[in-house]
Formats: sequence, structure tokens, C-alpha cells
Amino acid sequence: MSKKAEYIRCHICEAVNYVNEKEIACRRCHEDIAHDLQLSYHKTLAFLITAIIFYIPANIYPILISKQFGKTTTNTIMGGIIHLWEAGSYPIALIILLASVFVPLLKFILIIYLLISTKYNLSSSKIDKHKLFYITEVIGPWSMVDVFVVIILSVLIHFSGIQIYPGEGATAFGLMVFFTMISALSFDPRLINNSKGNNFNDKS
Amino acid sequence: MITEEELDELIICKKCHTLHKKVPLSKRKKAFCSKCDTLLYQDNSNMIDTTLALVIAAAISLFIAFKFTIVTIDIKGLEKSLTIYALFMVILEQHQYIVGVMFIFLIFIFPITIILSMLILLILMKLKKGGYLVQRLLILLAHIRPWSMVDIFFISLLVAMVKLFDYAYIELGVSFIALIFTLILDIIITKNISFYELWDLHTKIYGRVDE
Repeated sequence: MSKKAEYIRCHICEAVNYVNEKEIACRRCHEDIAHDLQLSYHKTLAFLITAIIFYIPANIYPILISKQFGKTTTNTIMGGIIHLWEAGSYPIALIILLASVFVPLLKFILIIYLLISTKYNLSSSKIDKHKLFYITEVIGPWSMVDVFVVIILSVLIHFSGIQIYPGEGATAFGLMVFFTMISALSFDPRLINNSKGNNFNDKS
Repeated sequence: MITEEELDELIICKKCHTLHKKVPLSKRKKAFCSKCDTLLYQDNSNMIDTTLALVIAAAISLFIAFKFTIVTIDIKGLEKSLTIYALFMVILEQHQYIVGVMFIFLIFIFPITIILSMLILLILMKLKKGGYLVQRLLILLAHIRPWSMVDIFFISLLVAMVKLFDYAYIELGVSFIALIFTLILDIIITKNISFYELWDLHTKIYGRVDE
């Protein structure tokens, strides 16, 4: 490993740190920066597995329960999307499909790829890996759209004859998003730096 | 061994983690990453004043957005208004504690905390007082910034309104416009503020902190 790879960016104050074995606190904000890399790896993996487990009930159980004059109908995420598509609201169906099906799946795949490629030193550009990690962090919260929509509807449609409730699926889905975000946050970018691959950390 | 002054001259791109050496910029110029063209830092001599003004405006519009009605729907004479207060009430009534608590934190508590801590932080930095508090607030902000979801809430609001469009008459409230203002201000603040430079200024104003 080259010596230059030991410059790391503090995730709190963005200061550049020159890290050797002894120092674990950032020189500027004194927050921990050099965590145990193995611990970070396992934490990311554990939170990711938790999120994948929550993804199953999130899709099986109804995300939305509507009671119309005593008659109860339930909607799962996919059911809701198909319903919207058939009703002709294509843009909305696409937004929900993107936010609640593609974004979580994409995040799972990206984090799994990052974990595998850093563990087994797959030779791909480190810049690409850093960019993928950045994308993972940015798209994370957007899967919450569906849960928020259900909550807003449950507040607005709250009459004596007709009511909408968030279902068990909404809870599972919310927790799933929460755990994917924690998983991405506990991933240490140094895992990418320490893996083999094209070295990029040149001063320019 | 490298001194702190030398390290302060370096910057790592947030997107691709490429190490750069900082160069002095002339007025209104920006520096971009050589590998991925992400903005690294910019010349922004009166950042604190500009951001403070924007944050005050954002605080006012956020207060309005949370205080008054966001939308009112009308289904055959039955009216229902969406306010943050109504959200709390319905969540408590329906015993949706997990989703509800998450929602309240993401939509209500974190955005307010972010705006208030920015306000306190910038005022203190302007007065050059309270170095330790400023440092704690900067750390707090770094931790909770990924968790504020007002923008996503707004998109969800639009989706919900389109879903209701066929059944109900929708009237936009004061808070809806305030929400749009908050989001625009939030984008401008995010573009204007740089936590890297705030920390730099922190070091310049209060000196290096040793614990």
C-alpha cells in the first residue's frame, strides 16, 4: 500500500487527516475517524441483512388499508403501483416504482457490490467505487416517498365513512429504509482505499 | 511528519476521494475536482453574512410551514386540512408509533434542529463567541444532516395530491407556499454553505482546539 493512501477525509468536518496507527481522532473536530475497518465492514453487512429482512414483509404486507363504509381493502406496494398504472396515472406510478422498488434494490446491490469488491479486491477503479458509494448515500432517503404518501393520505382521508390507515408494510418499509441508511453510513470509505486496485490518491 | 498547517492546505473530494492541494482563488471563482468535476471549494468571503440572512428567512418560512394549513381537501362538502398538528394527532390515534415517531423526527424535529443550530452557530461565529458550542453544533449538524427529509415530504405531498385529484377538491394553504420557499432556500443554503470552510473559519476565529 502506498504511503499516500493514508490521507483520509474526516466524515464530520471534512478535514484532511494524515493517519498513522496511533491516532484515531480527527485533528480538528476530535471525533473518531479511524474506526476498526473490520468492525465497519461487519456493521455495514449486519445492517444490510437487517434491511433485506425488513424488505420482505414490506412487500408482502399491505402498506395501505382503506375502510370504506365497513368494507376493508388493502394495498401492497406492487398492488398500489399496478392499480395506479391501470388507472392511467403513469407518472405517479413511475415515481412510486422508482422510489420504492428500484431505489431500495439498487441500494442493496450497490452496498453488496462495495462489500464484495473491497473484501476480495476486485480490480476496478477506486474512483468508481467512491462514486458508487456517494450515489448510495444520495439516493437513500428517496425510498421514503411511499411511506410519506400513505401517512399524508391517512391524515387527509379520515372521515366517519371512509378512512385510510398505514398498514404493517409501511412500518416494515420505513424500518427497511432506516437500516439501509445506517448501513451506508457505517461503511468506511477507507475500505475502498485499502483494497487493491488502481491507485488514484495522487496530489493534483 | 506533516504539520497541521500543511494538512489544512489539502482537500479531499467528497465524491471520488481524490486528494488535492488547495490553490488561492480570485474573487467569485470556484475550484473543481480534477477527476470528477465536483465542486471542491469556492471563494466566498462573506459566507457567514449571506448564509445567516438565508437561514433567518428559512427559519421564518419553516415556522409558517409547520404552523398553518398545508392543503385542505373537500370531498362533497366534507373538509379536511393537513397540518403538522393534525399529523401528530392522527398518528397517535391510529397507534402507528414506529412509523409515526420516524415521521415526526424526519419531517419535524431534524429540520427544526438543523435550522436552529445553523442560526445559533452563525450568530455566534459572527460575534466570535462560544467556540466550544460552535464546535459541538457543527458536529451535531454533520450527524443529522442526512436525516432531514423535508424535500422528500414535499414530493410525497404532490404524489398524494395527484392521487386525490379525481375524488376531491384541493385547496392549497399558506404552508404549502411556505414549504416551497423553505425548499428553495434550503437549496440555496446548501449551495452557499460549505462545512469545510466553516471549520476553516472556526480554526481562524477561535484557534485550534486541544482536548
